[in-house]
Amino acid sequence: MLNLINKLAGRSPWIYRINAGSCNGCDVEMATAALIPRYDVERLGCKYCGSPRHADVVLISGPLTLRVRDKVLRVYDEIPHPKVTVAVGVCPVSGGCFRDGYSVGANIDHYIPLDVIVPGCPPRPQAIIEGVLKAVGVWRARLEEGLCSHS
Amino acid sequence: MLPFLKIMFRNLLRGPSTEPFPLGPARTHKNFRGCAKFEPEKCILCGICRHVCAPGAIQLRPSEDGSGMEYVLWHNSCVFCGMCAHYCPTGALTMTDNWHLVHLGAEKFSNCIDEFVPYDECPECGAKIQPRPQAIIDKIGYRHPNRFLLCPKCKRESIARHAAKVHNKTEQAHP
Repeated sequence: MLNLINKLAGRSPWIYRINAGSCNGCDVEMATAALIPRYDVERLGCKYCGSPRHADVVLISGPLTLRVRDKVLRVYDEIPHPKVTVAVGVCPVSGGCFRDGYSVGANIDHYIPLDVIVPGCPPRPQAIIEGVLKAVGVWRARLEEGLCSHS
Repeated sequence: MLPFLKIMFRNLLRGPSTEPFPLGPARTHKNFRGCAKFEPEKCILCGICRHVCAPGAIQLRPSEDGSGMEYVLWHNSCVFCGMCAHYCPTGALTMTDNWHLVHLGAEKFSNCIDEFVPYDECPECGAKIQPRPQAIIDKIGYRHPNRFLLCPKCKRESIARHAAKVHNKTEQAHP
């Protein structure tokens, strides 16, 4: 039964967005990737969801500012296990222009493992779609592994 | 009357507006600024790209044996502003329209340009100097190409010798 559910679930990853102190540029591109007919990530089976408890793929943007850090970690912990993190933009990886700023504590990498990275400032919607597809590949592999390790 | 019918028929004839991207090629504008491209044979190691880089994505590391410099541009820090390409005096750095930079988290430090730029040698004293490719000779060294290739010390000596020669000539002509 769980096997069947996992097989079906793998065809429709649900995407959740976390804004970890981003300048909103990457968020606009993420919204563009889903809402504008030209890019339309939903035709690939992906769907943006509102609750972290329903999410499979997490898109994180922003350099993880000190003010938002604990909240981001709390939300991130609520996402159920076989989750894949996609860093959108250069901020989560290196801090980008905000590196060494007074309000940027550390790279997201010290708190959250990043599985797929989409560099750009901001990345184009097609690049985000490319990253989501790569993340879905990682996620499907994890779903199959998770069957053994969690049941 | 009924203007939406006109729009509807136009859209029917036009076909879907969705790009076929993951299943087909993506359309990229020719002026799109993607990742930077570096040509080490044109680089003169002036460091202006590192100076103007807002996110500090460019590093110039002197090699341990002193034979050159390692040029590192980390794409995961680059914001594609294109200032480095704008200020590069020899055109060693250019912006391409390549945006296919998606990679796994484990490869994040290998997603960079890592090139070695060796120093040139001064033709007179053999000291290590910054490279002098043809691109920069054509730009600022075309008046005295031989002197342009010298190290700063030999260049000063060469200029002083030249000045003394000119001075002696004028002395002889107008004593």
